[in-house]
Amino acid sequence: MIPLASTDYDAIRLSLQVSVAATLLSLPFGFAFAYLITFVRFRGKVVLEVLVNLPLTLPPVVVGYFLLLLLGKHGWLGSLLNDAGIRIIFTLKAAVIASAVVGFPLLVRSLRIGMEGIDPQLLNASRTLGARWHDTMLTVILPLSLPGLIAGSSLMFARSLGEFGATIIVAGNIPGVTQTIPLAIYEYASSPASETMALSLCLVSVAISVTVLFIHEVTAKKLARRG
Amino acid sequence: MQYVFKLSATLLCLVLLAAPAIAADVNLSVAASLKEVINELSESYARKNPGVKFVKNYGSSGALAKQVENGAPADIFISANTEWMDYLKNKKLTDSASIGIFTYNTLVFAGAPGKAASMKDLTRLEKIAIGSPKSVPAGEYAMDAFKKAGIDRQLEKKLVMAKDVRECLMYAERGEVDGAFVYKTDALLAKQARILFTVPQELYPRVTYPMALTVAGAKNRDATAFIAFLHSGEAKTVLSKYGFATR
Repeated sequence: MIPLASTDYDAIRLSLQVSVAATLLSLPFGFAFAYLITFVRFRGKVVLEVLVNLPLTLPPVVVGYFLLLLLGKHGWLGSLLNDAGIRIIFTLKAAVIASAVVGFPLLVRSLRIGMEGIDPQLLNASRTLGARWHDTMLTVILPLSLPGLIAGSSLMFARSLGEFGATIIVAGNIPGVTQTIPLAIYEYASSPASETMALSLCLVSVAISVTVLFIHEVTAKKLARRG
Repeated sequence: MQYVFKLSATLLCLVLLAAPAIAADVNLSVAASLKEVINELSESYARKNPGVKFVKNYGSSGALAKQVENGAPADIFISANTEWMDYLKNKKLTDSASIGIFTYNTLVFAGAPGKAASMKDLTRLEKIAIGSPKSVPAGEYAMDAFKKAGIDRQLEKKLVMAKDVRECLMYAERGEVDGAFVYKTDALLAKQARILFTVPQELYPRVTYPMALTVAGAKNRDATAFIAFLHSGEAKTVLSKYGFATR
């Protein structure tokens, strides 16, 4: 058995918590954005696409810094929330938001690929049968984009597990409160006395990622066969 | 085809010509907090000794030590704590005769004016930023000081751990925390935050910056000459200009 300290177990629990929360939080928004981009025609679509994909190419540190400017005590959103007694910076909420923003493009991308693969004749058929747009969305598009949904969520979950750059800026690195697995590894790796601890936590991280990606592949295959 | 051949031949010549120049360079691996000081000192040295070229690599002491261990080109290593210098010394990667102390630093508490005037006032504050004690020496020293002052229990819930000293200072500058424990030299660079008090020296071990030639550096004449220059009076003047203690 590899040695793990109690803060390491905290880090594992917090990582899973953050990843689950970030993924669930993003699902409805991701679906809405993917739907907009795939099925709705409007002006300025390219701008929206670029904006959604921006966190994928920006350095996570930049995303983190923008979030700090936005959600910080003197940020325009942060000051409003602060008046309402809600504090985001240096809490787990900040870690969830950071992971959600950074992983969002991956979710939208997978959902879009799923939606673009839907046979337009099915959509036309549902329309000729009198379905309203929301009927079509819920009974045709949603079930048919399920593979994309699962693929996107698992990718996003995996990305959230590895989130470091944005998280360390908005959430800090507080053991037991906001310290997720990557932050704990970073802390261990920068001190000469704790290299073995860093390695054992790395192994945990690899194990979780492999499991998630394995589930991702297997479910994707199953769904592909069924569809 | 001939064109490609000519081009590659030219490139090869250029590479071969450049090689001796690289050999005469002095590679510095220096703790990030000394960036401004070393930039100024190496420039002034290069002005007096034309032909000497410096390749400067700034980073956290741990990252630099690991790079040296894995064969990165480095002639001089300056660490922000003795721990990482000992690490390289034990691996026989430094020239132990050359190990000396470059300078010292002091721990201060920086924040918006009026928040605190001594260690006792800290218990009244809401959020205090320190470097992660396991990886950032300044954070470790701050924790030592809390324990010695007997306020570590009361502060436990108020602490925000940052990845390095500059990030602590950034939080204090932006008002996200009431104040931050940083080095005096960092606090002097702040625009909004002010030094509220200096942590009494008896509460924490002295912040020492050791320097040494690496095994490769001991064979580089320019590197040995530069390390002598770093011990000189001119170096001490520059150090104190940036807030470092030289004694």
